Amino acid sequence: MKKGNDSGRRAGFIFALPAALYMLVFVGWPMIQNFILSFKNVDVYTFSDASKQAFVGFANYKELFEGKDAILTAAIGNTLIFTVASIFFQFFIGFGLALLFSKKFKGSSFFRGVTMISWLLPVTVAGLLFKFMFASKGGIINQMFMSLHLIDAPLEWLLDPKLAMIAIVVANIWIGIPFNMMLLITGLTTIPEEIYESSKLDGANKFQTLFRITIPMIRPAIMSVLTLGFVYTFKVFDLVWVMTKGGPVNATELVSTYAYKLSFEQFQFSKGAAAANILFLILFVVGIFYIKLINDEEEVM
Amino acid sequence: MKNEKGNWKFFIIGALVFIIFIFPLYWMVVTALKTQVEIFQIPTPLWPKDLTLDAFAAQLSASSDTLRGFKNSLIIGCGATLISTILSIPAAYGLARFKFSGRKVLILYFLMTQMLPSTLILTSLYIMFSNMGLLNTYLAPILADATLGIPFSIIILRTYFLSIPKELDEAAKIDGCNSITSFTKVMLPIAKPGVVVAAVFSFVYAWGDLIYGITFMTDPNKRPITSSIYNYVQQYQTLWNATMAFGIIAILPVVLIFIFMQKYIVSGLTNGAVKA
Repeated sequence: MKKGNDSGRRAGFIFALPAALYMLVFVGWPMIQNFILSFKNVDVYTFSDASKQAFVGFANYKELFEGKDAILTAAIGNTLIFTVASIFFQFFIGFGLALLFSKKFKGSSFFRGVTMISWLLPVTVAGLLFKFMFASKGGIINQMFMSLHLIDAPLEWLLDPKLAMIAIVVANIWIGIPFNMMLLITGLTTIPEEIYESSKLDGANKFQTLFRITIPMIRPAIMSVLTLGFVYTFKVFDLVWVMTKGGPVNATELVSTYAYKLSFEQFQFSKGAAAANILFLILFVVGIFYIKLINDEEEVM
Repeated sequence: MKNEKGNWKFFIIGALVFIIFIFPLYWMVVTALKTQVEIFQIPTPLWPKDLTLDAFAAQLSASSDTLRGFKNSLIIGCGATLISTILSIPAAYGLARFKFSGRKVLILYFLMTQMLPSTLILTSLYIMFSNMGLLNTYLAPILADATLGIPFSIIILRTYFLSIPKELDEAAKIDGCNSITSFTKVMLPIAKPGVVVAAVFSFVYAWGDLIYGITFMTDPNKRPITSSIYNYVQQYQTLWNATMAFGIIAILPVVLIFIFMQKYIVSGLTNGAVKA
């Protein structure tokens, strides 16, 4: 393609325009509206009457952080615990599986393929499935622990604040492992076989090979798995909504579920918008980091 | 010889991983085939002694929410896929093939929209759809779900178009094609597998959506299947065999897509997420 070809330039822009406009109308514009909404006082009383809506500055934000029954700070904390715990296990298990399944052995591609399914399932169904497995009555997890004599009586997984967090993290790990595994396998396939062979000749053992060659060589894949994983996990809504609805007593309340409750259960639309903006702000920082990352990579290529 | 032994070791580890990983799905199927009595037995049998299809029969009866939800999800999923694919193909082509100012910004823009939380735009979309009279119509979740598919589709399709040699458009140009005809007559047929992946992902995203469904569709007759099963559980707390049968029906399209298109899906996932 010739550089600076005028018709080419216009054509490229025109091809991309409809999709860009669509996203502007249904994502960009609502985002701006959400921003404005968060500085107003729209709730169930003022929702249908624009004349009663007024700008209230940072009042909503202030109340979310400092109000008497404000739980936003706790929700951010919960979201961080949920995200970090999920990513930690997803990454290490995913990495282990990637190392395992990047080897060629009988059934390797079959086993690897089938483990992908958990990532594609509607999260709502996966959430209900885990809710059932963690149920105190009839739940298989209690039964397993009891038959292994780890516990004497059934645990109330979803009704105990600490255990409920463990339950949603476990469910989320199951969903997220394939994503980590696949991206890391793709990274592993980019390492030329010769490098392993020459390191073997140099007498490197398995650990040296892993830490000196494998990990440094797939660093870009590791970084994108971690940042993307953070972004996707930090905004999880459906899984928690289905399993615990943020309970018991806000123990698993995430920023996303809290924002939803404010807007669509308490009909405090402006407060919900403010909470969603806080969520966005955190993701935005991580998102910038990710985009910088792929930009650097592209420049290398 | 040593290699063979090593292979067996890996096979056993791989098989164990497989069994642990697939167990929740096995448990879903087994529970759907049990009676309520067996589900709450201590210890509950790992395989039903009293095998029954009653739970499925109940879910498939005409009066149940299941089939209605299934149909609604099909309509919503197909609508969202159609919008997403039609808009993404030209956009990905434009962003892969032409150098124009603002190209990079546009790519970043699509990348960013993929990372946004639904809650961020949910309230405004609700108000917007409410003003347009779209709440409780299929159009509301269709329009919202398409925004999930578009960025992902553009990213994977762009990688696909980038992999097609440029000489092909140049040859088409020499043969008298302009940008549009070389796109429709030359590029599109070659990019077909990429288009299929993009469409499949858009459908899977729309099928799995819960938040837009529960927010925009309060009419029980129009709920998508994720929202129906969510509401079903609220109502029948511990009717687990029925819930699991419902769940199996709800994941059926995704499982079928997975079985028949696994190769494409794996390539789509890695292309869409790593290379941008």
